[in-house]
Amino acid sequence: MRLTFVTPRYGTEVIGGAETAARMLAERLGRHPGWDVDVLTSCSLDHLTWENTEPAGTTSLNGVTVHRFPTASRRLLEYFALDGRLRVSPATATLEQSRRWVSLNGPMCPDLVDAVAGSDADVIAFYPYLFATTVDGAAVARVPTVMHPAAHDEAALYLRAFRDCFRSMDGFVYHTQAERALVEQVFSVGAHPQVVLGLGVNDPAGDGRAGGDLLGIGDRPYLCYLGRVDEHKGCTMLAEFFARYKERHPGDLALAMVGPVSAEPPDHPDIVVTGTVSEADKWDILRDARVMVSPSAYESFSLVVLEAWTVGVPVLVNATCAATMEHARRSGGGLWFGSYRSFEATVDRLASDARFRADLAEAGRLYTERFYRWDSIIERYGAFLRSVVARGHKENAGARPLPLITAGAAYERGA
Amino acid sequence: MVSLPADEEAVDGSDGSDGSDGSDDAVADGPVPGDLDAVGRARYLAGVMAEIDDEVRRRRSSGDLPPNLERDLDQLFLEFSPVGSQGHARLRETLTLVDSSAFIDIAVPVESQKQAGTYVKRLIRKTISWYMGFIVTQITKFGWAVSRMFHLVVDHVEELEREVATLRPPELPDGAVPVADDASRWWAADAVDALRGTDGRVVHADCGSGSLVALLVEAGVDAYGVDPDDLALAPAIDAGLDVRAEPVLGHLEVVEDGALGGIVLSGSVQWLHPADRQRVVELAGARLADGGVLVVHSSTPEAWLRTAPPLVADLAPGRPVHADTWSHLLAAHGVRTVSVRTGGEDRRLERVDGTSDGAEVVNAAVDLVNELLAGPSEFVLVAARER
Repeated sequence: MRLTFVTPRYGTEVIGGAETAARMLAERLGRHPGWDVDVLTSCSLDHLTWENTEPAGTTSLNGVTVHRFPTASRRLLEYFALDGRLRVSPATATLEQSRRWVSLNGPMCPDLVDAVAGSDADVIAFYPYLFATTVDGAAVARVPTVMHPAAHDEAALYLRAFRDCFRSMDGFVYHTQAERALVEQVFSVGAHPQVVLGLGVNDPAGDGRAGGDLLGIGDRPYLCYLGRVDEHKGCTMLAEFFARYKERHPGDLALAMVGPVSAEPPDHPDIVVTGTVSEADKWDILRDARVMVSPSAYESFSLVVLEAWTVGVPVLVNATCAATMEHARRSGGGLWFGSYRSFEATVDRLASDARFRADLAEAGRLYTERFYRWDSIIERYGAFLRSVVARGHKENAGARPLPLITAGAAYERGA
Repeated sequence: MVSLPADEEAVDGSDGSDGSDGSDDAVADGPVPGDLDAVGRARYLAGVMAEIDDEVRRRRSSGDLPPNLERDLDQLFLEFSPVGSQGHARLRETLTLVDSSAFIDIAVPVESQKQAGTYVKRLIRKTISWYMGFIVTQITKFGWAVSRMFHLVVDHVEELEREVATLRPPELPDGAVPVADDASRWWAADAVDALRGTDGRVVHADCGSGSLVALLVEAGVDAYGVDPDDLALAPAIDAGLDVRAEPVLGHLEVVEDGALGGIVLSGSVQWLHPADRQRVVELAGARLADGGVLVVHSSTPEAWLRTAPPLVADLAPGRPVHADTWSHLLAAHGVRTVSVRTGGEDRRLERVDGTSDGAEVVNAAVDLVNELLAGPSEFVLVAARER
């Protein structure tokens, strides 16, 4: 069985997000006998500029064949203006406005789209929904297609340009039941073949060093945030909440924010911002945390929540995030907060009670073991793809390519 | 009140600084979430969160946090949350964002790192204040008018929600409804025969363990299932079937018109609230493709009275209706009944020997009893969407 992934970025340099999820699936499935997996992607690793930084052509990465195609346009400043306008009421944007948004969001890769049109793979998997590679690719595919939407409740999901793209798919692979419910509600694709798959969790690694030593805080207890340190991930809010918490609850408790920094949180003596760390350090820091906090309201899966459970750490999640709430509720492995008050009360409860933390973490570990082991994930994914292939491809009549927009000032990082 | 491992350790925030952070205290034994089933874990966690909510309310009423600071922190949280992400419950909170944005401050900050900068900014502010004041006053008035309108809408919505809540039937307790194993039922073959060769996907609601979905797939039908009870679905998921934890009404709402080749309705469908049943009928008519097949399995109303578990019989929002009633409802939406067959448990009394004395009177009574109380307990109705 030959499977082709189509994803806007691909590479070990791409940290977190849907593209990494695509790579994890591709690499795992590619190791299984009977599967031949390749990837069609852009020459860019930067989703803010779409600058062609990687050479076009075919390479191999961790056993997966990767075909790279140049982007035909860098991200233009016009994108930000249009995004601001459509964000207010995306569902009322015209079809042409929304198609322009998708085109400006990019990456526009005409050669990649041609490769999709000419593909003789058994099935093509588009991952995620948000980018031009998915919309343009789905329009021309001649073989069965599945989409991993990686969708959450964001303005872009309601743009009309995505409607035909979703409805043209032959199957969907969701991260969570909440994602499935959202996509079905927005696009009325409830009758399409689907599977709620999620992602597998890697075995915990680490060098056995104390997390506190790595953070430079010695034996102090700490909460831990893992991922990109970014305002939109709720990090500014988390830092502010934690600072207020410490004003009202003086003590040793610290907060470690571990991951690449997009937006520096306010300085605070009890908040440690590490920047990017090695995989081993990440696991060592996570293992010794009292609680792993996921403050983001916009997660479509959140692998770090599952990773925390595998090393015996309970989680505290944002009550407005459907994906992490689903994990916490179904597993019984964590609590949630929906205001500063509830943040304070849940942190109090978790920080003061070791047995309670252990009980929550154990419930989370069992849940992860039941649903998110790589071997069962791959087995279910393979079975689903075979069923999609058996049903065949539904032609996407009337689809037309997105407009290629090249005129205008390009966005520059740091400008 | 759930029994928690750390009831005695629950935070006492009366002084606002319990010194609890970081301390690892030994705690009493208690239920371990990992040892509970999914329902038990959900209840346990709901209990914990209810206690935390009580604690939040207690602290809030104590006024230990300045109201302005609490409002600012809550707005910070809302800024990074999907608007209305928790349904109507957050309408009021989201409205505070509108309120706080409705006033536009004309006092532009003039501080600058350079002394001359502050002077220049102040001069500019003073020079254009007459102009900005005129514009901003109108925008602020508009903002307040919009905010006022939203307040009225939210008041109205909340009033409607309170009224609707009084009409809602009580929830059936967990485990009150037995999970159906439809493939072992007498009508499974009827369903498979009716749907064999169907063009398009076929959904079975409620599919339970997925046994009928599996039979349909074996027969070459592109079948999938939905069931509101996600625990019941576990065997189907393990078997690799396409099943989803959704109620039938919620599912049919998210399917395109004409997308289904067939629909099987069984299980809780028979005791839906009459308004919900009517909506299911409407949606079934719309979602079936032309020529699509509908199969309805239900208890007979008579059997329901004598066989439904007491809690289901008393608390279910609706009651099963006769096959004739289904036919009538479906016909109004372009779905015509093809056949009705009865089956299931049959406890009809036998008639006595007609030659014995008084047999005629006894048999008349037997016929009446059979008709009223002891007839077939179930029926399966097969219908088709008109082309």
